[in-house]
This record gives sequence, C-alpha cells and structure tokens, in this order.
Amino acid sequence: MNSQTGKVMVVGGGIAGLTAAWELARKNIGVELVEKSCFLGGHSIGYTCKATEMCQKCGACSVEKMLKDVIAEPLINVHLRTEVKALDRSDRYRITLAKSDGEAADGKILKGFSRHNTPLFVIGENVTEAAPPGAMKIQDMGSECELDVDAVILATGFSPFDASLKSTYGYGKWENVITGLEFEHIERENAGIVRPSDGKSPKRVAFIQCVGSRDERLGHLWCSEVCCAYALRMAGTIRHQDPEAEVSVFYIDVQNVGKEFPVFYAKIKENVRFVRTIPVDIYPVENDCLKLRHMAEDQGTPTFEEFDLVVLSIGIMPGADTKIISEIFDVPMTVDGFLDESVGNGIFVAGTASGPGTIAASMAKAGKAAFDAVKYLGGAK
Amino acid sequence: MIAEKTTMIDVTMNRDVLVVGCGAPGVQAAAVLADRGYNVVLAHGGSDEKIPASGVEIMSGTRVEKLAGVAGDYRICLATGDKFVERTFGAIVVAPTYGLEPLNLAYDLTLDDRVVTMTQMEAKLKDPAFTEDLKKGDGKVVAFLSGFGQEGDPAATRRVLEAALAVQNLGASSAYIYANNVKVGGPGLERLFTQGRHQGVVCFKPLEKPVIDQGETLNITINDPVVRGDLVLEPDYIVVEEKMVVGQKNLDLAATLRIDTDLEGLLPSNNVHRFPVRSNREGIFVASQPVDGANVVLRVEDLLGEGVVTVAKERAVVDDSKCVICLTCYRCCPHGAIFWENGVAVISPVACQGCGICASECPMDAIQIGEFTDASLKADIDEAVASAQKAPTPSVVAFCCENSAFEAGQAVKALGADLPEGFRMIQVPCAGKVDVEFIMRAFVEGADGVMVAACHEGNCKAERGNTFAGWRVAEVQRRLEAMGLNKDRLIFTTIASNMAEEFSVKVQKFIEKL
Repeated sequence: MNSQTGKVMVVGGGIAGLTAAWELARKNIGVELVEKSCFLGGHSIGYTCKATEMCQKCGACSVEKMLKDVIAEPLINVHLRTEVKALDRSDRYRITLAKSDGEAADGKILKGFSRHNTPLFVIGENVTEAAPPGAMKIQDMGSECELDVDAVILATGFSPFDASLKSTYGYGKWENVITGLEFEHIERENAGIVRPSDGKSPKRVAFIQCVGSRDERLGHLWCSEVCCAYALRMAGTIRHQDPEAEVSVFYIDVQNVGKEFPVFYAKIKENVRFVRTIPVDIYPVENDCLKLRHMAEDQGTPTFEEFDLVVLSIGIMPGADTKIISEIFDVPMTVDGFLDESVGNGIFVAGTASGPGTIAASMAKAGKAAFDAVKYLGGAK
Repeated sequence: MIAEKTTMIDVTMNRDVLVVGCGAPGVQAAAVLADRGYNVVLAHGGSDEKIPASGVEIMSGTRVEKLAGVAGDYRICLATGDKFVERTFGAIVVAPTYGLEPLNLAYDLTLDDRVVTMTQMEAKLKDPAFTEDLKKGDGKVVAFLSGFGQEGDPAATRRVLEAALAVQNLGASSAYIYANNVKVGGPGLERLFTQGRHQGVVCFKPLEKPVIDQGETLNITINDPVVRGDLVLEPDYIVVEEKMVVGQKNLDLAATLRIDTDLEGLLPSNNVHRFPVRSNREGIFVASQPVDGANVVLRVEDLLGEGVVTVAKERAVVDDSKCVICLTCYRCCPHGAIFWENGVAVISPVACQGCGICASECPMDAIQIGEFTDASLKADIDEAVASAQKAPTPSVVAFCCENSAFEAGQAVKALGADLPEGFRMIQVPCAGKVDVEFIMRAFVEGADGVMVAACHEGNCKAERGNTFAGWRVAEVQRRLEAMGLNKDRLIFTTIASNMAEEFSVKVQKFIEKL
C-alpha cells in the first residue's frame, strides 16, 4: 500500500511543517521542506519544559522528538534559509525558491535551540571570532532553484504579538518587562527564571494576559488559545522553583489549558493569585522593579502594586508573510488575517498559519493536512 | 550499549478494523478505511440509526465483551443482546460519545417550563411557535447560566453564545449571560462574543454564583463588581448549562481494552507521547476531536497498510525454562504486549515498545530486552565506572532514559557546555529498565555517585517506568543506609529531552554534594 509516490512541498519548518513532512514520508512521499530561517523547529523548538514534579503537557519535548525524527528521514529534503518566490500552476506545481535574507545575522554567530539542528551554528557576515566545529556560513545557505511538486502544504506559522504596541506597559523600555516568548528562552537557557536586569530570581512576578489578543481596539477579535496555557504553566514552574515567590495573573477570562483542566486549575489556584482586570500601565521604580497600576475588581479604585518581573502574555498573530503567501498560492485570508484552511485543490494549510493553536493542535492539524495531501495525490493519478 | 545483532522478522497483520462507538471522527475514519479496502466493522451501543459510512458493517446495540491478543491480531468478543460473536481485527479505533447532564442542582433549580436545559432551549429555538412568541410585543427575557456549575469549555460557550444571539435577534427579546470564565479559546468564539455584545446581549461576570429564586416569577440576583451593587433580573426563561458525562459504558470499554483514560475518564490519556490519537496500546487508537479522523487513518495505514510489519524478533524475550507464570510481567506491562501461550509468557514483538519494565520486575530474571540485555548493561556499567575513576572529579554513573535524560545529556555536549570529567551516562530504554542490581553494581565497582534520570511523572512513554525507577532508587537508598553508607550518593531526578542547561545544573549540583 505504501508504494504511493509523488512529491509535496511543505512551506515552513515549525512543528506543523515538521509533522506534515514526517507523515508524508511515512507514506513514502518525497518532501521538499522549505524554511526561511537558518534552523528547523520554528518558535516551539525554543520553548522550555514547564514540568514541576509532574509533566504539565506543554508539548515542548514533542517538538524536539519530531525534529529528531525528521532529520533522520531520507525522504525529506530540507531547504534552510529559503523562501518561496513564485508558483507556476500550468502543469504540476512549479515553485521558484530563493535565498531568504530575513535572518539578521551580521556580525553574529547564530545558534540553534536543539542539538538536532543541522547545522547547529550559523556564522553571519563579518564575523571575526573562531567558528565552532560544524558551523556553516550564512552565505552558503539557501536554495535557489525551481522545483516541481504535486501538492503543497503551507505551514508558515504565526508572528508573536509585538508587545511594544501596547506602549503603556513599557516593553522595550523597562528591562524586566518581558514577553512570554522571552520567558521561554530565559528559563531554558538558565535552568530557571531570572530577571534580565540582574540575573536574580524574581520574588514577585506578574503575568498580564491577553496582550494583543481579544483586543477590539486593535481589531484582534480572537483568543490566542495558548497564552493562559503557557502563563499558568510558567506560574507553576516559578512556584515550583521557589515556593516563596509570589505570582499574580491579571486576566479577563481564564481559558482552558488542554485536557484535565479543572484539576490543573484547582491546583494552580492554591499557589497563584488571580486578579480579574487588565492593568493600565507600568512604571519603573528602584532596584529595577516595576509598579503596576490596575483597577481592582473588588475595590473599583486604582491600585498600585510592585513586582520584580512582569511577563506580558503575548498572543498569536498572523504570520508576517501571510499576505505574500496568500498571493503566491492564491489562498484567501480569513477575516482575522490568517490563511483560510478550507481551500484544498492541492494546497493545504497546517498549524497556526490558519489560526491560533497549541503544539498538540498544530500536530493534529498537520496530520490532517498530510492526510488530505495524500488523498489528493491518490486522486490525481 | 546497543546489541550488535538484531534479527528482524515479518509478522502478518490482520487488516480488518473495528471501530467502537459512533463519534463523528471515528465514523469518518471508518468510511475512509472502508473506501481504501479495509474490512471495517462499526460496533456501537445505540439503536439502528443511520450511520453515514458506506461499505462499513454496522453492528448496533453492540458492546465489546472481551478482548485478547495484540495489535495485528486482536481477538474480540462482541455482544449484541445475548448473542456473542468472536471476530479478529488488526486494529481498533475508539470513537467515544459522551452524554450531557443538566447542572440545575448546582444552582438549586428544578427543571420546568421556565427553567430549561441548554439542549431544550436549542430545540425551542428551532420551534416556530416558540420563536414567534419571542418576536411578539416586548419579547421575552432569557437568561443563560454558564460556568458556575462546572469550569466549562469552548464547546459549551459556543452553544451559549449562539443561542443567546438567536434570542437577541427575535423581536424585542433580550438575552443575558451569567458567566464565570467565558471560554473563548476556540475558532471564531471571541468574534461571536463581541458580535453578541454589539447586538445587545448582556454578559455579567459576577464573582459569586448567582442567587436564583424560582418562585411566582423567576428572579436572579448578583452582586455586580462593575456597578458595585445588587442587580436583579426577572427573566421569562432560565437556561441551565450542561456537563459532559463520561458514563460507565466508556469507562468499561477502556477497562476492557486496557487503555488509559485521563483524570476525568476521557480518552485518550493525557500523555504527550500519545498526541493526537495513540493509546498506550499499539493498534488501539482514539478519535475524539474533528481532525482525529484523518490522524487515525494515518496510524492504521502505518500499522496495517502492508499487511506485514517487520520487527526485531528479540525485542523482549522470555526464557521458557525460567518463567513460572507468576503474572508479574503481564500486570506491569503498560502496553498490554504480554500474553500466555503453552504455559509461558509471550511478549509480542509488534506490541512491545521495549521499555524493559517487565525485565526489571520479573522475579525470575526470565526476560531480556534485545537491545539492552542485562549482560550488555552490566558491561556498560563496568566500563563507565572504570573510565570515570580515571578522572580527577568524583566518578558518577547516570542511568539515563533515552527518551529524555539521555537526549538532554547529549545536547549538553553538542551545545558546547561541559559535563564534569568523571560523569558517565548509560543509555537505557526507559528508567523502568534500571534494576536495583544495576545500581548496586555501579557502587560495588566503585562509583562515587549514581544518578537515575527519568522523565517527569505523566511524561513516561511507558506510563509508569519512572514510577518503578523511583521506587527502586528508594529501595537502594534504604539498603545503603542499612550498610552505613550515605544514601545521598544515589539520586533520582527527572528531566525533559530539551533541557540541556537544566541537566547540566543538576549534574553539577549532585557532584558538588558528593
């Protein structure tokens, strides 16, 4: 049964693209996996494990595993630092690839998050330091060619919300106001959460939910579906690392965090303070601390509180390239600016390219896209 | 150490598929599999309703009575009334459906003409007599209760928002929602919520459950945090939220199939290694979400597509002369891979995942894991201790699960961080394969410290391998103390595959203590 052949291009090497590519290879279908950055894995390869004593089911380790499986798969041909320039549908799908210069690497040595990233180190232009073994020069990366494929899976992912757009929170101005995505990286690289300003463990941490999501003024009428999940899990890891740390979560509505949520939520409420309000603004105070102003729901008056670290739970926005991808592949965009996944006809959408979702949801959607592509290939013959 | 020779064998797989239950994703998978030439039987407990799956043999009023065998050869007894049939299937797809239960008691309410369930309101909104009545004159006031009888979920929120919007659009009628957390974490829900508010649907989010008087007139009182006072509403109808109930039938099925549920009894279990449709048993899949139908088909075709799978013959082998059929291996196997034949335990090379829990638990030492035999692991230990002792730092042997700690340890090296010179990792298929004997051997050979590094609780690919490892470490610590040795020379720790820095810190801390 697995004698099916054909070739599919997967655009985007995050968890959805990796999963789709792997599923196609399982079906003996050749895959051209195109990734615009220098590394496979997308956003989620950089996420931290959020386990306490217990696994919190964030799925970060699933990404590591999927990357390992994909690079071991001979049927998947990877094009790093490459983007799609044009599509010609006159016969099959003739796709023009070009080098992507999206990655800012001048004077820098870039490092992948996973040991399964090949190469693990990429040397930018004008670098004078010695190169780590196995490093690759950025100029030598990227494919420029035309490829003929039978179907395409678009797994172009999301852009994290630019927190500086919510200017009253002072992101980019105050060092200890960080995003959820930065929290992921800091915790992973330091084996625990520390403040950017002094490298010390914070004793008082605030999470602000819905930064960029559920925001009518910005026209963002969607819930990002992952921020309560990561923020609550992070709150749990902080308390696990330091049972004396005080953690507050400022929120509109607490959204469910995967399966078994009532049990998870009941446990987290024992250790974390929940405040139903979205704070107004943040000011710096001494010792690199932050003063946060909010209207307390049960008091109805402005309240000031001090924190050592404020984490902005930034949401999932349409990917920066969505418009270009939409034009090249003639896939319409949804009212929210994501790719419409209902199109078909040889072009399929997977993962957060079509809207917010968790790692688990992206993997499941990618399986569906691969299934649809296989079906399309079978029908085309 | 990976054994040098692996004999591969072909195992013939039965290509018939049993779908249990008539959840939509499972029915969809059944239809696709039938279309692709598989013999598919769909057995469900319901009546003879029309199920949209052509080419599928439907057995209504039927339950799974018994299950034996393993993936590729599941032998199943299906019971329809008092009639029993034995059939053989290569794979099983569970397509659960769950019941709904109104939560009126959580609000001290009795269901009547005015206090109705969500399901009843949805039916009313399809009844022209009801909708015409709501369009008349001043209309009616309908209040929805959500999130005080249960935490709730996006699916329940969608029903409330859609019904509230429908009411609001009927003449002068108005809809009020009393919600705890509005669960908008699903496609289109925030937009729907906003649209409702713009069209006049009022949403109250009181801090406490609303107080409701079900008297001559209905009366809902809340203390509203925004206006900071009591707010009273006299609705014509109150719509009570409903809770999804798992039901004994689903729990019985999971028990019969020997597959794990999550804490709420839902399938599949909440283990990241199972995303999205796997169960703890090879060849048993679960379709519960809309996209699961496609994913189930992928997994079934993976397993049965060729009609033959090639597997390592000696993945796990029982020594006939040692096995006394004590049932220990059968009980501790998390994958249901062990059965009985001719008076000895047999481990299916198809169903076995090679975790080695059985080999370590077997009181007769009758089981060997092909790639990790006791002899090869002992050789690994001896070699690791001998080479570690040559280093100037304390000698530490770490038994590392290949799914987590071993990956993390290799990442430390690859990313250029240092591990202490006297630190040695021993790759094991699961922490559940670390015997008491192995730990003791490392100490006897002269290791200063021993570390057993497993996956976090709830993340073990073999479900309980880490638990077994934790128990064995505690046992050895007791023995060390009894011998007058420092028990802190042995630790049990948990680590994820992607946490190189954390692994490095844990090793450093352990070595500093020694």
